[in-house]
Order: sequence, then structure tokens, then C-alpha cells
Amino acid sequence: MNAAISAEEDLADVSRVLAGDAQAFEGIVRRWQGPLVNMAWRYCRDRGRAEELAQEAFLRAWRGLGQWRRESSFSTWLFALAANVFRSELRRFPTVTVPLETAPEPSGPATQHNTLSKGLSHGAVRRAVLALPQRYREPVVLFYFHEMDLAAAARTMGLPEGTMKARLSRARALLRRRFPHLEAEHSEMEFETLTTGKEA
Amino acid sequence: MNRTRNSSDELELTRIDHILASEEPLIPSSGFLESVMESVREEAAAPPPIPFPWKRAIPAVLLTAGIFGWAAFELIRLGLPAAGSLAAAGSASLALPHFSAAAVQPFEPAGWVALALGTSLLSWLLARRLAGRSGLL
Repeated sequence: MNAAISAEEDLADVSRVLAGDAQAFEGIVRRWQGPLVNMAWRYCRDRGRAEELAQEAFLRAWRGLGQWRRESSFSTWLFALAANVFRSELRRFPTVTVPLETAPEPSGPATQHNTLSKGLSHGAVRRAVLALPQRYREPVVLFYFHEMDLAAAARTMGLPEGTMKARLSRARALLRRRFPHLEAEHSEMEFETLTTGKEA
Repeated sequence: MNRTRNSSDELELTRIDHILASEEPLIPSSGFLESVMESVREEAAAPPPIPFPWKRAIPAVLLTAGIFGWAAFELIRLGLPAAGSLAAAGSASLALPHFSAAAVQPFEPAGWVALALGTSLLSWLLARRLAGRSGLL
């Protein structure tokens, strides 16, 4: 969807809701349900819980719609509000996670060509994000949710970009230490790319 | 996303990045939108919360504060002569406030009890009146 069109639609719907038309909120939910459910999913890795969290975030947005000052885009406000809701709800009822050291190791490079084992190893890395210390977990979740846009992730968390970057670097270092196979595989991939490039 | 692996200021793009960035999007369930809108409609239909009736409560608050203030003043007034007499007798270490003889006259406690009962009755009547006007009773 065109971001400018979405922003205009958001603005129009918010104005209608604030004027008393509750049904206009449906447009907002329709446009943002996908992103919010996906964001919640990255926070908890539980589909049912993700929808509950996203629903709670929409309800809070409904109640606090008048607090959107329109200085930032509606999406920035909504994502920041949702992040606060997810953080506080998951603090009250945490998801079951294992310590990073005991997170399952993905299978080695020899079996990586098998689609199933690849899926499993990817799942292990994604689940390991939830095992990161709280301080580093959220920057990772939001950085990849925002398609590696550091500024957007920092805005959602309400942190300066420098702080976000530092926490992200630390988190990625922890993940790399936990999954050395993936690093080795990556180096091999790079080597292969270089050599095939030279041959070509 | 044009990051190089060995760049020092830029974030490195690794295999872990590929895995975490290439996640299949989750499609919300078909009833999600309706479920959210149902909750929103319920909230919209609910009556607004009843504000605390500060205007009506202020007299009661002032009255209570006055009674407590007066009681504290009386306690100090009655206790000071006793403390002064004890200090004068050289037993300053036992200078706890004591009521003077006037405070332990036979009818004095009855007055205090009557005052306490009256205050309780007054606050109960006031609470009933406030609750009745706001539709709670």
C-alpha cells in the first residue's frame, strides 16, 4: 500500500473516530492488523497470544486516539503504543523461554540443504531471540520487524539511535556466539560467492 | 540494506540477519478484525466512568480535617501540663504525654464517645446522600 495514501486514510479515520464514529476504527484495524499481529508474534512466538496482544494494543489505541499529537506519523505512534503494551503484558505474563545457552543448536552445514532441517534451524535462531536478556531482545525484535530500519526501530522503542545500535550489536554478538555454525556457513557462502564470481 | 560485512561503523549483515529478516508474514485469523471491532463497540457503548464528586466531598473533607485538627489540639492542650509537671519533677525520661485530671473526669469519656458516634453518623448520611444522587443506590 502506498504510505502516503495510508497516512491520509489513517488521518481521516482518526478524525471520524474522534468525532464519534466508532465504526471508522475498522479501517484502522483493517490496515494495521497484519503489522501488529506480526509484531506481537515476534515478541512471543505464539499465534494465539500474538492475536490477544494485538487486540489489546488496538483497544489501547482506541482509548488513547486523542493523544496522538500528529507530530509523528500514525504508524510510529501506533507501533510505539503497541510495543509498550506488548512489553507490559509480557512482563505480567511472560512467555516460556529457555536460557540462551540451552537454546537448541541448529543442524550443521552438511544437512543444511535439506529444507526441513533448514526450517528447523531457522526456527531455533528465531526462538533464541526470545532467550536474549530483555535489554537486547526488544531491539532485535523491532529491528527485523522494521526490515532492518534502525531509525524506525529506535522510534518505536523511544530510544536514541546510538543506544539502539549499541544494544543491537551486543545482541547480535550474543547470537553469533550461540550459533557459530551459522557464521561458518556464512563465511563459506561468501567464499563461494567470491570464487564463483572470479571464475565467471 | 546495502551493508558490507567488514565495515566498522555499519552493522554487519550475517547469516543470522538473513534468517531473522526473512520471516514469513503471519496472516491474522479471519475473525480477528471482527473480534477487535466487537471489543471497540462494547467500549463505545459503555457509559463513561463516574467522576469523583469533589464538589460535594469537599465539605466532608473539611469537616473531617477540622475534627481531627481540633482533637489533636485538645490532646496537646491536655497533655502539655502533665508533661511540664513531670519534667519539673526531674523525671524527664518519662515525659510521655499524660492527661491532666480534668481529662479523666467521669463524664468526659461519654462526650468523646458521643462526638465519635455523631461524626460516624454524619459521614454515613453524607455518603448515602452522595451515592444516592450518583445513582449507585
